[in-house]
Amino acid sequence: MTDIPTPEPAAAHAPTGDATAHDLRSLRKQSSIYVYEAPVRLWHWINALAIVILIVTGYFIGSPPPSMQIGEPVSQFVFGYIRFAHFAAAQVMTVAFFGRIYWAFVGNSHSRQMFYLPIFSRNWWSEVFFELRWYLFLEPEPKKYVGHNPLAQMAMFFFMTIGITFMMVTGWALYAEGAQKGSLPDLAFGWLLGLVQNSQRLHTLHHLGMWSIVVFMIVHIYAAIREDIMSRQTMVSTMISGHRSFRDDRTE
Amino acid sequence: MGITTPNGFTLDNSGKRIVVDPVTRIEGHMRCEVNVDDQGIIRNAVSTGTMWRGLEVILKGRDPRDAWAFTERICGVCTGTHALTSVRAVEDALSISIPDNANSIRNLMQLALQIHDHVVHFYHLHALDWVNPVNALRADPKATSELQQMASPSHPLSSPGYFRDVQNRLKAFVESGQLGLFKNGYWDNPAYLLPPEADLMATTHYLEALDLQKEIVKIHTIFGGKNPHPNWLVGGVPCPINVHSTGAVGAINMERLNHVSSIIDQSLAFMRNVYIPDVIAIGGFYKNWLYGGGLSGQAVLAYGDIPENPNDFSAEQLHLPRGAIINGNLNEVHDVDMRNPDEIQEFVDHSWYHYAEAGKGLHPWDGETSPKYELGPNAKGTRTNIQELDEAAKYSWIKAPRWKGHAMEVGPLARYVVGYAKGHEDIKNQVDGLLGTMGLPLNAIFSTLGRTAARALESEYCGRLQKHFFDKLVQNIKNGDESTANVAKWDPSTWPKEAKGVGATEAPRGALGHWIRIKDGRIENYQCVVPTTWNGSPRDTAGNIGAFEASLMDTKMERPEEPVEILRTLHSFDPCLACSTH
Amino acid sequence: MSRIETFYDVMRRQGITRRSFMKYCSLTASALGLGPAFVPKIAHAMETKPRTPVIWVHGLECTCCSESFIRAAHPLAKDVVLSMISLDYDDTLMAAAGHQAEAAMMDTIEKYKGNYILAVEGNPPLNEDGMFCIIGGKPFVEQLKMAAEHAKAIISWGACASYGCVQAAAPNPTRATPVHKVITDKPIIKVPGCPPIAEVMTGVITYMLTFDRLPELDRQGRPAMFYGQRIHDKCYRRPHFDAGQFVEHWDDENARKGYCLYKMGCKGPTTYNACSTVRWNDGTSFPIQSGHGCIGCSEDGFWDQGSFYDRLTNIKQFGVEANADTVGMTAAGVVGGAVVAHAAVSALKRAQKKTQDKVEG
Ligand code: HEM
Ligand code: HEM
Ligand code: NFV
Ligand code: SF4
Ligand code: SF4
Ligand code: F3S
Ligand SMILES: [Mg+2]
Repeated sequence: MTDIPTPEPAAAHAPTGDATAHDLRSLRKQSSIYVYEAPVRLWHWINALAIVILIVTGYFIGSPPPSMQIGEPVSQFVFGYIRFAHFAAAQVMTVAFFGRIYWAFVGNSHSRQMFYLPIFSRNWWSEVFFELRWYLFLEPEPKKYVGHNPLAQMAMFFFMTIGITFMMVTGWALYAEGAQKGSLPDLAFGWLLGLVQNSQRLHTLHHLGMWSIVVFMIVHIYAAIREDIMSRQTMVSTMISGHRSFRDDRTE
Repeated sequence: MGITTPNGFTLDNSGKRIVVDPVTRIEGHMRCEVNVDDQGIIRNAVSTGTMWRGLEVILKGRDPRDAWAFTERICGVCTGTHALTSVRAVEDALSISIPDNANSIRNLMQLALQIHDHVVHFYHLHALDWVNPVNALRADPKATSELQQMASPSHPLSSPGYFRDVQNRLKAFVESGQLGLFKNGYWDNPAYLLPPEADLMATTHYLEALDLQKEIVKIHTIFGGKNPHPNWLVGGVPCPINVHSTGAVGAINMERLNHVSSIIDQSLAFMRNVYIPDVIAIGGFYKNWLYGGGLSGQAVLAYGDIPENPNDFSAEQLHLPRGAIINGNLNEVHDVDMRNPDEIQEFVDHSWYHYAEAGKGLHPWDGETSPKYELGPNAKGTRTNIQELDEAAKYSWIKAPRWKGHAMEVGPLARYVVGYAKGHEDIKNQVDGLLGTMGLPLNAIFSTLGRTAARALESEYCGRLQKHFFDKLVQNIKNGDESTANVAKWDPSTWPKEAKGVGATEAPRGALGHWIRIKDGRIENYQCVVPTTWNGSPRDTAGNIGAFEASLMDTKMERPEEPVEILRTLHSFDPCLACSTH
Repeated sequence: MSRIETFYDVMRRQGITRRSFMKYCSLTASALGLGPAFVPKIAHAMETKPRTPVIWVHGLECTCCSESFIRAAHPLAKDVVLSMISLDYDDTLMAAAGHQAEAAMMDTIEKYKGNYILAVEGNPPLNEDGMFCIIGGKPFVEQLKMAAEHAKAIISWGACASYGCVQAAAPNPTRATPVHKVITDKPIIKVPGCPPIAEVMTGVITYMLTFDRLPELDRQGRPAMFYGQRIHDKCYRRPHFDAGQFVEHWDDENARKGYCLYKMGCKGPTTYNACSTVRWNDGTSFPIQSGHGCIGCSEDGFWDQGSFYDRLTNIKQFGVEANADTVGMTAAGVVGGAVVAHAAVSALKRAQKKTQDKVEG
């Protein structure tokens, strides 16, 4: 390992990310911050698992596996189980997402980051562009971020907050068709079918939504591992322990 | 005065112009204008298709395997015939051969359509041109019963009580003052000639036929899942056969076959006991009303249909005949080649379409469909409120198809004329038998009533053909062949980059053809030339008038302001306007 | 002038006695929560109420809805037309033509203002000033508007009137427009299907006559009683669907055993109709029973949801056609490729930096 550079005094440029005054103070003193509280981490991994199940089963709902001759149709329930797994994971994902929203209110400030974009902050935008340049190999060194970097925040917001909501709304509207008129899913989301008119269109929208989430996953996991290696802070372990540690003591 | 058309009709539009719009008791929307002289005789006739939907435009770029469903919706009356024509066109383009069972099942369905369409046409669209239901109230039920037993001794529904019941029901209906469908009919027009007993008998059969027709179509329901608009499949038929083993109840099985068989028997009995006797009985009273021949003795066309064996459309293998007769020469039946660019062509000089090159006739493989609505300089009224059309300009949504330049009549009569001329045994026997019974010479069939009679005879013949193909189907299954579809070329990746094909059927109203061009697995061009396109065609570039127009010429109208005679003759073609313009 | 036949007459004609007629009236009174004093009033209303007049107009269509209607087995079409309604105008079936036909319609509108039902089959095209469909020399849309003005309610028969159907399929050259987009101030009951099932058609009419009210409609304006559930919800092949037993090719072993048609593109899971229960032509069969998948003929825009044989809809984008999976896999592939490339460059840079650091250090 090379020498740890001597810390430079906190200078003119503003502290990075959504770091609070408290963060900054502790940042000067220590190189590990408690970022993701337990409920967030729990949610993260439950959600990740649910989504993987939803993608696999969802794909099979669209393109079923070859017919199987295991038993009489009354006792064989292959496709039924595939759909059951989809709906079970969907229930879990839905409940967990509401839990996550609750935690955004009571948790620490990082727990809120996924749910909004500070689009009126010039500083935030300049960091978006900085981060873009970093990914385009135009910056020699990344910044430090206590929570998500702004690009990640954007991805989280669009592909997760909006994306999961979209999947839930379209998914529950599809579910309402089977649950039938007057059921809870129908009362909550049945209006969507009325809006798109044809249920086939609803299937197509839901199906396309899946692929947007697949795309997010690819980028997300790559970015998490890459940043873990190349950035100045921990990533993967942060989502396990909740603690983010830094590889240097500079604050900018 | 007047001008003579190349096909030999003298048109004179100096007399009083009479407009009938809407023409009712047809499928779709149609307008007819005629000029009558001071004797009330029609001297000029103009027939107009007044709707267009653009199916040929909509089909472009779609999956050829879906085309049957689109074209089937060209018409819900001759439902299925467009679908069959379409799958044949696609199979022709892609060289797909279908299994023997599929051929028999398709024939059973196509024949069911013929029978159904003819029955509904005669009783529910045409009969009121000859039959006066209001006059039936004056009938003696007992005398009606005798008439019925004389006309068809084996028809079970013939007691005086039965006719009295119907009469009472009719009476209550008429006395309610709410005449419904009979409202504003021409019930005191002297053109109606039946005695009250014949009126009562025919009106009763109007109701019986309404009950029966819903049975005939169940053959479509069994093989195609529903009617109207049963399902079809490129490469065969969608219904699998399983008569022997597990799961048979999910396929064509013994119970389904029995159902088909009993429907065939039931409808054949109706043709023999009711339909044909009615046509003879009613025709007997109108024996001297021999108007409406038009093109039927002069230029007729049939493509032929009901192939005995799958994938063989050679003329001698078809149960419904193929051929063309021109210049009234019944001694020479020409063969028809639907692929020859010089035989079938469509003109649009008097139609609301635009061709890149005006005045030209286009073979359907190179056909164009670009709508262009405009009225001629001598039209009366406005663009959206037409009082009178100008037939010297464009005046119809129907194109003008021609065979080697000739305007042709198609339909049951055309098929029967071609069949008779070719010496088709079943057809010749039927025609000679009917003319003998009625004491009429051969040329009496070139008339409004001839068309109506040919339709009845054809229904009976089709019933017999159904029996034949039912037996054939069962025999083939017995021989161990249960296959109904050929899927070797189902996947578009097996198709050539470019292909073109043609499919033909004899639809109830006549010769129907679909021409398709396929490119990169998609429809590049799709053109339909439909029976009512032939019959209802407007004038062409050379000035030939179409079959509808020709048939109205020289007809005497009892009361020019009441279009009974116009309706009679137009109805004898069973016009289908949704078909004609598509 | 002949007397107008009343509801009472109709019941009498069908063999119902005066006694049971009065009983019917008192039942009606108590069902409506009215006291016995109302019985004579109801009886009076029924004795003087004529058969409901129906005007049935036709626009751009294929007339399969009329054809379906006459297939009705219970009640028989003839009983509907002779005893239940008064079909005063229907160009497909009426005796009169031309001026006399138009006069019949005007007469009913005048006489029964606000009390007749308008049944619409087909739809009005709006391009070319409406002249893609001409009635009496004028655009059909004018006839439609005129007949709608004084109608009590409108029934939109079939996919044409309800949604536009085949002539409204892309690119809809005539701008064929469903009825509810032209008539906006009347209750409209959509009875979709291409065509609708005969017994559903007569069922809707007899419901309105029997209960003297409009049927409860679902979100798309269809009678909930017939369109409340999907074909798939009541399909008898559903156990094979749940078992994962599908027809894999036309006429294969599985087809002969009657397995589920999902992989053949069956649209039963996305189609609201009564086919799998009421079935067609007096209960004889329905598309799936005969071996072909449902094509979704009672759904809005069913012509433009990709091929009838594809399970996944084709999406037309930038001139190429693909289904959701092709779009998604392409996107995932592109992104995946980009990620791999990015990772490679990152590794390279990192290695560079390491050597640099070593040199400098
Ligand atoms: C289906 C798969 C996954 C989904 C949908 C997903 C989703 C998310 C979401 C929504 C967040 C934001 C958490 C918050 O702010 O509440 C997040 C953060 C994170 N995830 Fe995942 N995740 C997935 C898989 C993974 C995997 C496999 C890893 C590890 C290899 C991972 C590592 C991380 C890390 C390190 C963060 C924190 C990022 C940061 O601090 O900016 N995720 N993930
Ligand atoms: C990340 C989240 C999700 C993904 C990736 C996903 C994916 C999919 C896919 C690909 C399909 C097949 C669509 C088709 O082509 O027909 C599907 C169907 C479906 N999904 Fe989801 N889905 C998700 C969330 C949900 C949720 C939250 C629900 C709510 C209950 C849900 C309910 C359904 C239903 C009801 C179906 C239709 C099942 C059927 O037709 O038998 N999905 N899903
Ligand atoms: N013309 C016509 Fe059709 C028939 N028959 C079509 O092919 O009626 Ni609708
Ligand atoms: S809805 Fe379908 S079946 Fe009915 S008229 Fe329209 S095209 Fe024909
Ligand atoms: S055949 Fe169609 S409607 Fe029936 S269970 Fe299968 S997918 Fe559903
Ligand atoms: S195609 Fe139509 S007829 Fe019924 S089964 Fe499907 S809705
Ligand atoms: Mg054409």
